[in-house]
Amino acid sequence: MKQGDTIEIRWHGRGGQGAVTSADLTAMSAIHEGKFAQAFPSFGPERRGAPVLAFNRISAEHPIRVRSGVVKPDIVVVLDPGLVTLINVVDGLKPGGCLIVNSTRSIEDLQGEFSGDWTLAVVDASSIARELLRVNIVNTTMLGAMIKTAGAIKMDSLTEPLEEKFGARAKANLEACHKAFDTTVIGKITVGGQKKVRTFAVAKQPTWSELLVGCAVTDVGSTKRFCTGDWKSQHPVWDDKKCIKCGICSLFCPEFCINQQKDGYFRSNDFYCKGCGICAQECWTQAIKMVEEA
Amino acid sequence: METLSIYAPKLVTNKEYIASGHRACSGCGEVLAVRYVCKALGRNTIISNATGCMEIISTPLPETAWEVPWIHTLFENASAVASGIESGLKSLKRKHGYTKEVKVVAMGGDGATADIGLQSLSGAMERGHDFIYVCYDNEAYMNTGIQRSSETPFGASTTTAPSGKNSLGQHTQKKNMAAIAAAHNIAYVATSCSSYPFDIMSKVEKAMKVKGPSYIHILSVCPTGWRCASNLTIKLGRLAVETGIFPMYEIENGKYTLNIDLPKLRPVEDYLKLQGRFRHLDKDITAEIQEKVFDEYNKVKRLAAGNKAK
Repeated sequence: MKQGDTIEIRWHGRGGQGAVTSADLTAMSAIHEGKFAQAFPSFGPERRGAPVLAFNRISAEHPIRVRSGVVKPDIVVVLDPGLVTLINVVDGLKPGGCLIVNSTRSIEDLQGEFSGDWTLAVVDASSIARELLRVNIVNTTMLGAMIKTAGAIKMDSLTEPLEEKFGARAKANLEACHKAFDTTVIGKITVGGQKKVRTFAVAKQPTWSELLVGCAVTDVGSTKRFCTGDWKSQHPVWDDKKCIKCGICSLFCPEFCINQQKDGYFRSNDFYCKGCGICAQECWTQAIKMVEEA
Repeated sequence: METLSIYAPKLVTNKEYIASGHRACSGCGEVLAVRYVCKALGRNTIISNATGCMEIISTPLPETAWEVPWIHTLFENASAVASGIESGLKSLKRKHGYTKEVKVVAMGGDGATADIGLQSLSGAMERGHDFIYVCYDNEAYMNTGIQRSSETPFGASTTTAPSGKNSLGQHTQKKNMAAIAAAHNIAYVATSCSSYPFDIMSKVEKAMKVKGPSYIHILSVCPTGWRCASNLTIKLGRLAVETGIFPMYEIENGKYTLNIDLPKLRPVEDYLKLQGRFRHLDKDITAEIQEKVFDEYNKVKRLAAGNKAK
């Protein structure tokens, strides 16, 4: 919904990654510049690790009356590298808009994923965050990339909100932000430049007339259809030489996805594994290692 | 391989009554506790579940993770609904020759048990309905974003009891729900922890044998709300027991039994330092907490020793 000069931003992240904080900081910086701004998140019952959305509206001239979610953004920022192939992140992105992605992939490679008249920016924010902040939380880092590519807010106006929100940790966050600003690679996406067309599953919600009385669900155990495996950033790997087949991993798995195979050894089902790392922590013989997702 | 007989897969049924694909946070201790409770309960169960994490994560419409009959109730009436189901079953047996033995179970988080649903729980226990109440205590309203409840321990920082210059976070002591349940003179009350699967299962089995109300309080580690790494769930649960912060005991017809009686408790720092919600605590406060833990632990120990003497 265009409202004069309003800029709309959509943040794609995972629960716990800080997309909501990114949106908050952007709005606080814009307000600091004397503009009008909104920031709000949108998520369902899903938790830490699940894909979440956050939105911004920024207007230099007038108060913002629209309160709905952003469906036609000017800027899309993707905080998690895995989300690009999982969700249609460019859904509704306006022609001439910006797509900013955290990824270790090259810009040429990513250009082949999309088709449209957009600017593409790529930054390896995870590496920057791990190096400077020692955690893979890329919210402030991605702000640097966003400022460079789209310039929705100014770098200087970010300092005060950062200090307010992070206190003593503001300095390292600002450093990460600057490093992302310097290392972001910007290119173009063209219409028809897509190498491989992906289709994205859209969850079908029942309409009111399809619901049973009292919202009864007769399809028992039907969450098994739902893939929670894409929430994870690490997955367990077994060393069968060390394994004593005790099954403690299977017993302590909160996804109930570790099963004994025919040969007696255990494996996790990656369709459900959320990568919590309990199995690796609790394994008596340390036969399990957590390995970063590619 | 003599020890083969104690290997976990042989001791626990493979059958799950709550399915994968639920939306719990990674490393959730509460859903683990639910899993063990359901394994022990088995197929012939009707669950009445109060609003809270376990309701939200298990039943995103139009899906459900449950493989036993399950009803979502409000915060305040999980026990009232369970009472109704139990009475309905009784009536079916009396009037229509229904013979199946079905166990009615009410479940709720600490908010639904100790705060909002306390009246209906108290009423159901007082009326003597044949049901089990299981409280999954993750020590705050985690589902809505870590607001304090009356089960939040002293000194923990939550969003509605934040730590700061003039506040150390939660300034009241954790409510002793097991003692409140025991005060209703019910046949079986127990406390357990999500890190002790066999303890949970044996306690649920005991509760199932009881005619009348029984209450099980399970400390469930919440990595999101306790602000700790998701792989520490099991370790933290063990530490809560080993430091004496959460003693595991049973009260059978008023008789106390301490299930894990440690000769020497670990210092509370071991437990506190792993959690972000206690990060702000200084030495004096920690010492205060330590003293309180000794007091409470010894109280339970004395009650258990008193039984032995008889």
